[in-house]
This record gives sequence, C-alpha cells and structure tokens, in this order.
Amino acid sequence: MAETKGVLLPAYVLADESGSMSPYEQDLTHGLVSLCEGLRAEPMIAAKLRLAVLGFSDDVQVRLAVADMRRETSLPKVEIRGLTNYEAVFDDLSTRIPNDVRWLRGEGYKVHRPVVFFLSDGQPTDGGAWRRPHRELTDRARTPTAPNIVACGIGNAEASTMVEVATQPEFAFIAKPGTDIGRAVAEFFHALTASLVASGQALNSGAPQLVVNRPDQFSMAIDEVGQ
Amino acid sequence: MAAGRGRSRPFGGSPVPPPPPAAPPPVPSAPPAAQPPVPPVRSVPPAAPPPVPPVPWRPIAVGTPGPEFEARPPGRYAFEFPDTECDGWSTPSLCLRFASVRGAQHRYSGKPRQDAARAACHEASGSVVFAVADGVSGARRPEFGAIEACRTSVERMLHLLSAGDGPLDFRDVLLRAAERLRQLAQWWQGGREPEPGEVADMLATTLVAGVVRPDPAGPVAELCRVGDSGAWVLDRAAGRYQALFGAKTGSGSPVVSNAVTPLPHVPDPLERTVVRLAAPHTLLVGTDGFGDPLGDGDGQVGALFARQLATPVSPPWFAHLLDFSRETFDDDRTLLAVWPHPGAPAT
Repeated sequence: MAETKGVLLPAYVLADESGSMSPYEQDLTHGLVSLCEGLRAEPMIAAKLRLAVLGFSDDVQVRLAVADMRRETSLPKVEIRGLTNYEAVFDDLSTRIPNDVRWLRGEGYKVHRPVVFFLSDGQPTDGGAWRRPHRELTDRARTPTAPNIVACGIGNAEASTMVEVATQPEFAFIAKPGTDIGRAVAEFFHALTASLVASGQALNSGAPQLVVNRPDQFSMAIDEVGQ
Repeated sequence: MAAGRGRSRPFGGSPVPPPPPAAPPPVPSAPPAAQPPVPPVRSVPPAAPPPVPPVPWRPIAVGTPGPEFEARPPGRYAFEFPDTECDGWSTPSLCLRFASVRGAQHRYSGKPRQDAARAACHEASGSVVFAVADGVSGARRPEFGAIEACRTSVERMLHLLSAGDGPLDFRDVLLRAAERLRQLAQWWQGGREPEPGEVADMLATTLVAGVVRPDPAGPVAELCRVGDSGAWVLDRAAGRYQALFGAKTGSGSPVVSNAVTPLPHVPDPLERTVVRLAAPHTLLVGTDGFGDPLGDGDGQVGALFARQLATPVSPPWFAHLLDFSRETFDDDRTLLAVWPHPGAPAT
C-alpha cells in the first residue's frame, strides 16, 4: 500500500429532469447552485468529497462530472426532458460508480462507500424494470462499491417507492402533502448540503456513519407507507 | 542495575550547531615592493554579526497543505485539554519523546483534542511505560475517555512492573482502564450504574499501552492495543517502517471503513506484540491521525519522519513536526517515540 492522499466520499446527486419538473427547473438550478456554494464555503470538508450531478429522465446525462468543489468553477445546469426512467438510473450507476471508485483509487485516494441522493417527482415510467439493476447495484456481495442511497420524493412520487429505492428505511423521505414543490426542492438541497458536511466529519471518526438530515417539509417515507 | 538513578546524560536533544564558516584566505602582510608603503594593519577582532531575529516556525507542508486559520476555542469545559502537549526525557538506556496535537477539523469546529498520551519512567527497572489513546469522536466526551485510559493504564503498568519482572499482564491493564471508564461514567450520572453501552456512548477510546525494558541484547518493547491506533518500528538506517499491528482496513475492499471496537470493550484474545529494538531502531506508537497519512511509510510523510527522527529532536520541535499540514488529513495526531541510546548500559 503506497502512501494515500486521503479518504474521499464520492457523492452523486440524481436530479429528476422529466417533463413534469418543468415548472421547477429554476428551483432545481438554484438548489444546485446553493449546494455548490455551500460546499465551497467548507473547504476542509469539500477536500474530502467528490461530487457528481446527474440529470435523469429517459436516460442519464452528466451535469457535473466527479468534481473537487474547491476547484470546480462551472455550475451544473439541468435540462428538462422526457419521462422518468428509474431503470436508466440504476443501470448507469452500476457502471459509473465502480469506474469512478477505481479512478479515484488510481489517483492515490482511499474511498468511503459512495452515497447517492435521489430526487424524483414521479413514479417510475418503466414499470418494475428498475428493480433488477437496483438490486444488483445495492448488493454489496455483487457490487463491492454499492452505494448508500438516500431517496426523496416530491409531487407524484409515492412513499412506498422511495422506501424501495433507499438502501435503509431511514434514508427515504417524502414531501408532506400540500408542500410547495419549489420549496421542497430547495429544502432537499439544504438538507443535502448539511448531510454532506456532517458526513465529511463523521465518516473519519472511529464510529463512522453517514449523516442524513431530513429535509424540512419532508417526512420519513416509512411512516407514510400503509397509511 | 543502575538504570535511571541520576546518571542522566544528553542524547542529541539539541540540534548540532553548524560548523563556523571557513576562515578567509590570508591577506598578504606586505604589498609588493614597488608600491608605496602602507601602514601596518592592526589586528582587530571581527565585528560580531548583527543579531538575526528569530523566525517563527511555519507549518510544515507535506504535499498540498490544508488551509491555514486561527483555531476556535474548544468549549468552556475543555480547558484541561490544551491544543498541543509534548514531553521528552532520557533514562541511561532510552530516550522518549511524545506529542499530541489537535487536528485541523477540531480546531476549525471548536472541539477539543480527543487524543492523549502519557509516559513514565519505572526507575527500578529503567523501563519506559507509555500509553496512547484516541477518543472515539462519536462518543459524548471522548477526550475524557482517552486521557483516563492513558492515566489508568500507565499507573497499572508501573504497579505491575514493581510487582515482578515477568511479561506484563495486559488483560489486567485493560480491564483496569475499562473499569475506570465505567466509574467515570457512573460519577457523571450522579452515581447511577451505567446501562450496557452507556460507557462506550460517553467515553469510548482506542488504546495502545506498553513498556520498553532495557536488555543486554537490546531493549524489548511489549505492547497491546484496543482499536485502530498503531505502532511501528522505524529502521532509521533504511528509512523503513515495520507495522507492529495489522492495518485498520482490509486491503482487499475497494471501500474503507474506520469502524473500531474501542474500550471499554476488552477483546479476547488480546492483540499484543513483543519486539526487540536494535540500535538503528526507533519504536513509534501513534493514533490514526499519524498512521493514516503515514500509510506504509514509503511516501512523503514517512520520509519526513525518518529524516527528522534520525536522532531525538526537542519536544517542542517533535510536536511541530507532528502538526504537519497535508490536505484531507485533519484528524488529531499523537505520536510517541522511544530511541535506544547507543552504547547504553543494558541493565
């Protein structure tokens, strides 16, 4: 084992760019800007993170490749388009995450288990096809770099679906009924920034844990299932 | 054996002053005859060089340094945990240095240093007894757990050394330390017996405890550990590090975990080791704040410490060295080093 440059947390933001998000495109953009600015304000934490922003609808498109936010000058820009294909998301991550981890290790870093923050405003339009790649992605025996997934649902997204997408029940959140979606998007990014900052500290302790803050205006999805 | 009885001697604790500059070439005493006579030059002592103002130590950067900033205070009840501690002394056979420094993350976030170290000389045997601990930051008062584990284990090892010269009963040492943590937790709870897990929630800490004893064939170090702090033998001649305990994460997994099982848990079997120190060896004991950037020791951090610890440095410099700056490595750091004295009396 050669000298390491440090231990990084790869973090992926999956933003729903399907047509139904059209009224909230500005909210998504503002949320991403606030995320980037929030991380730049914490350079010691940002040094231990690598952030990627991916937009998904019919497919997955890279809005920000795995980046060191202390040095990244561009801002991710979403593009509203198409349907809500969850299968494309988990197929993409099944290839992308192991490749990114391999690249970071090749650069001399060690890597914490990656984390995915998934935001969707609707039910998957691919039926149940997404469950196979999701299962393969999150199976740690099959995918040693399997990520933790935090799922946040807004609009028409259902609590039970978010519970299925998240890798732990306490990582699944759903916007409270009647919540303004634009505000929910903003709260998602506030909580995401705070979670990354707290995790950047906690993961390097002797009791490592991914810190996931519940966004304001969201409730735990598991509490809504079956009601 | 006369070790440790007032026969202290210096052992390279101060840097050797540089040699004086070479004398200038001699000036001819007389000019060539064709030249007009010149009055003889009086021999005047050279003027003293102007005083050089001392230069403050700058952070030692290793690779890309982290950001520089003024530390925040560590909280009103952390006054017993200063940012930096260091110590150093020699017995006739052994030379000790240790330092413990607050990491950049704790300086930035206003938390106290959660590492600790303590060392003592057992005069009758000439042994050096030591403990290094890393309070688990998920606990509520890890800085108290770390220092209490160090104090208790050092006291117990001194007692055991006085009781006999066989191998140290490290299980006894660790159980005493764990019991001390339980007592402290109980005291904080107003006398209520802690529930299972409450001691760890409050005071969990790693610990490496041990002793270095003089021996005719070279000093012998005995160590045990709980958790992921480490120990190494630095071969100063070769610049190589030999880890005395296993790495904290399996090298086969592409993702790492820092999860540890710290005190008050006392594992069975214990993780312990014995090693004899040859003349070019230095025993190093450190928390992961030092061990993580060191890695296998074959990089820039390893080279820095192999070069700087070729001979014992002053305790303040040892602490400054340990406080090196390298981006992403912002944990508290503690390092303890024991050098055998060359040609020292063995017993």
